[in-house]
Amino acid sequence: MTGLVSTIVEAWQELRINKTRILLALIGVALSVAALTTVVGMGNLVREGYKASSERNGGRSATLNLGVYGPTMPDPEKLSQAYRGIQERYGIKYSTNVSQAQHGFQFPNGVQDVQLHVVDPGYGVIHRIEVDHGSWFADSDEQRFAPALVVSETFYNAAGRPNLTTDPVVTLAGAQKTTAVIIGVVPDQYPYPGMPPSAYMLTGAAEKAGVTAGAYGMSSQFEIWVQDAQAESLQAAITADLQQQFPGMEAQANRGDYASHGDPFAMVQLAVGGIAGLVMLLGAVGMLNISMVTVRYRVREIGIRRSFGATSQRVFVGVMMESVVATAVAGVVGVMLAVAVVKNPWIESKIAPGLTEFPPFPLEAAMLGLGAAILVGALAGAIPALVAVRVKVIDAIRF
Amino acid sequence: MEELVSLTAVTRTVRLPDDAELHILKGIDLAVHAGDHTAIIGRSGGGKSTLLNLIGLLDLPSTGEIRFLGEPVNHLSNNARARLRGESVGFVFQQFNLLPGRSALDNVITPLLYAKGSGFWRRRELAMEMLDRVGLSARADVLPNMLSGGEQQRVAIARALVRKPRLILADEPTGALDVETGQTVMALLDTVATESGSALITITHDSNVAALARACYRLEAGVLTAVDVPLRPGTPGAETSASDEAVGASAGAGA
Ligand SMILES: Nc1ncnc2c1ncn2[C@@H]1O[C@H](COP(=O)(O)OP(=O)(O)OP(=O)(O)O)[C@@H](O)[C@H]1O
Ligand SMILES: [Mg+2]
Repeated sequence: MTGLVSTIVEAWQELRINKTRILLALIGVALSVAALTTVVGMGNLVREGYKASSERNGGRSATLNLGVYGPTMPDPEKLSQAYRGIQERYGIKYSTNVSQAQHGFQFPNGVQDVQLHVVDPGYGVIHRIEVDHGSWFADSDEQRFAPALVVSETFYNAAGRPNLTTDPVVTLAGAQKTTAVIIGVVPDQYPYPGMPPSAYMLTGAAEKAGVTAGAYGMSSQFEIWVQDAQAESLQAAITADLQQQFPGMEAQANRGDYASHGDPFAMVQLAVGGIAGLVMLLGAVGMLNISMVTVRYRVREIGIRRSFGATSQRVFVGVMMESVVATAVAGVVGVMLAVAVVKNPWIESKIAPGLTEFPPFPLEAAMLGLGAAILVGALAGAIPALVAVRVKVIDAIRF
Repeated sequence: MEELVSLTAVTRTVRLPDDAELHILKGIDLAVHAGDHTAIIGRSGGGKSTLLNLIGLLDLPSTGEIRFLGEPVNHLSNNARARLRGESVGFVFQQFNLLPGRSALDNVITPLLYAKGSGFWRRRELAMEMLDRVGLSARADVLPNMLSGGEQQRVAIARALVRKPRLILADEPTGALDVETGQTVMALLDTVATESGSALITITHDSNVAALARACYRLEAGVLTAVDVPLRPGTPGAETSASDEAVGASAGAGA
C-alpha cells in the first residue's frame, strides 16, 4: 500500500519537475488519441446513420422479400392467401405488403400529386419508422372509416402543419373525394428541395379509397421480419413452400436488408483506423524519444535516489509510471477533444444525415483511445525504465 | 558496543579496458561500531571512495567478507541491499548531489519516499523537523541553485539524516566549500550525528575535519592503516579525549 502510493507520489513529483519537456511529447500523444478516437467515433456515427437509412429502405436485419414471378401474373387472391399461410406456419410476427401508388391530394394551394407507400402496420417495425409527431399505424386503423395517413414532413408542410390532436383531414382528389385523417408525421427520407410530398397508407384503406396500387408497373411485395439466426433456413424453407404452391412459376424469398450485403464501412474504417494507428505510433516514438533524453539526463539523479534506498523495481516502475501517468492524462484530453469534434451538431448532421436522433458518443471509442494512450505510455516508458535500472549507482554519482 | 559494519580481508579489483587488473583495495580490515566517528584520509586515487561505496552497500567486494549488522552482504539480494541502505545508511557527497529543481524540503523528503509506514506518511513533518535541525527551516521552499554551497550541504546533511540511519557516510563533505564554511558544516554534521547516535565515517583531505573524529585511518595505495587523530590547531589534546568519553557514553546509552 505505502509502496504503491509512494511510487505514485514520486512519479507525480517527477512529472511536475519535467513538465515542459513532457508536455511537448504529450501534445503529440493527445492529438493522436484524439485522431484515433474521432475516427472510431465518427465511423460509428456514419454506420449508425447508414444503418438507419438503409433500414428505412430495405428493412432491418433480417428482412425477407417474398415474391412469385412467372409468364403471367399470379392470382393476387391466391398469393395473399399463400402469404397468410406462410405467416401462420412459420410463426412470423411482423410482415407487410409494400406497394407504391400515386394520387392527387387537395391542399390549401391546390391539388398536388403525392407518392403513396401502401403498407401494413408491420412495416413500421420492419423499417424502424420513427414518427416526429403523432403515431404510426395500429392494427385497428384498418377499420377506420376515413383512411389514416402517416405523412412526410413535406406533405405536412403543404397541408399547413395542422395540430394532430384535432384529427386533421385532407381530401383525396378524384371522383370519390375521400377524406383521410393525418395521424403521424415522419421526416422526409431524402430531404432535397422541391421533393414531392409522400405518405403511408394502409393496404385495406387504399383499396376502399380507390387508390390503385402497383403504379409504375411494379407488383406489390411482401416482406417478413425474421430472426437473424433463422434467416437462412427460413429463406430456403419458404422458397420451397411457395414454389410448391405455384408450380410453373419462380418463387423467391430474398434478403433485402443492409446486413445481407456485409458491412460496407469495414474497409474504410480499417484504412482510416490504420492511419490513426500510425499517427499513434509516431506519438509513441516522440514520447519514447523524450523519455530517453530525460532518463540520460537523469542518470545521476537515479543514482542519488538509489543511494537513498530506491530498489531497482522502484526505479523501473517509477520511470514507467511517469510515462503512463502522463500519457493517461494526454489520453483523457485526446478523448475529450474527440468527443467535442464528433458530438459537434454541425459535424453530426453532416456525417450522418440519415439520423434524426444522434447516438451518444460510443464508449468503446473512448475506451480504445484511452487504452491506446496508456499502452503508448507503457511502451514508451519500458525502454527508458530498463535503461534506468541498469544505471550503476557508483558510476552515476561519480563526477 | 554494537558492531555495524565489519570488513575482513576485503579487496576490490577492477578490470581496465586494456584487460589489465587494477587492485584498488588490497586486504582491508575495519570494524565500525555504533556511534563511532571515524575519519579516513589519504591521497587522491588511494581508493577512499571505493571503500566508502563498499561500506555503504553500493558495491560488493572482489574477495573478503563484509558484514552489515552481522549479515554477510554477499548473501543479500540487490533489493535487500537497497532497502538496508535506505534504512541504515545516509550519504553526504562532496558535490552535495541535491536533486535539481526540487525545493530543499522535497530533497529532504526524497529518502522518505522509499520508507514504509509512518516514515512515508509523515514525510513532510519529519523533513521539516530535520531542516530545522540544520537551521534551514526558513528556506524549505527554496530551490538548491538559490542556496549557497554551505546551505546546500546542510540540506544534504538533513537529507542523509532524515531516516535516522545508524551509519552516515560522508565523502569529502567539505571539499567544495571554503575553509570557514567547511568547518561550520562539519561541526554541524558531527553534532547532528552525535545527537542521533549515528556512526559517522568521513573521508577528508582536511586535517581540521579529521581532528573532529575520534579515530583516524590513512588509506594509501589500497592499504588501510590506523593513525593518530591529528590535533586540532590550537586545541589541547586533553579536550579531545574528554569529549571522546562523553560521546562514547551517550552513544553507548543510545545503542
Ligand atoms: N570502476 C572503475 N574502473 C576503473 N578504475 C576505477 C574504478 N573505480 C575506481 N577506479 C580507480 O581506482 C582508483 C581509486 O578510486 P577512488 O575513487 O576510490 O579514489 P579516491 O581515494 O576516492 O580518490 P579522490 O580522493 O580523488 O576522490 C582511482 O585510480 C580510480 O581511477
Ligand atoms: Mg573519492
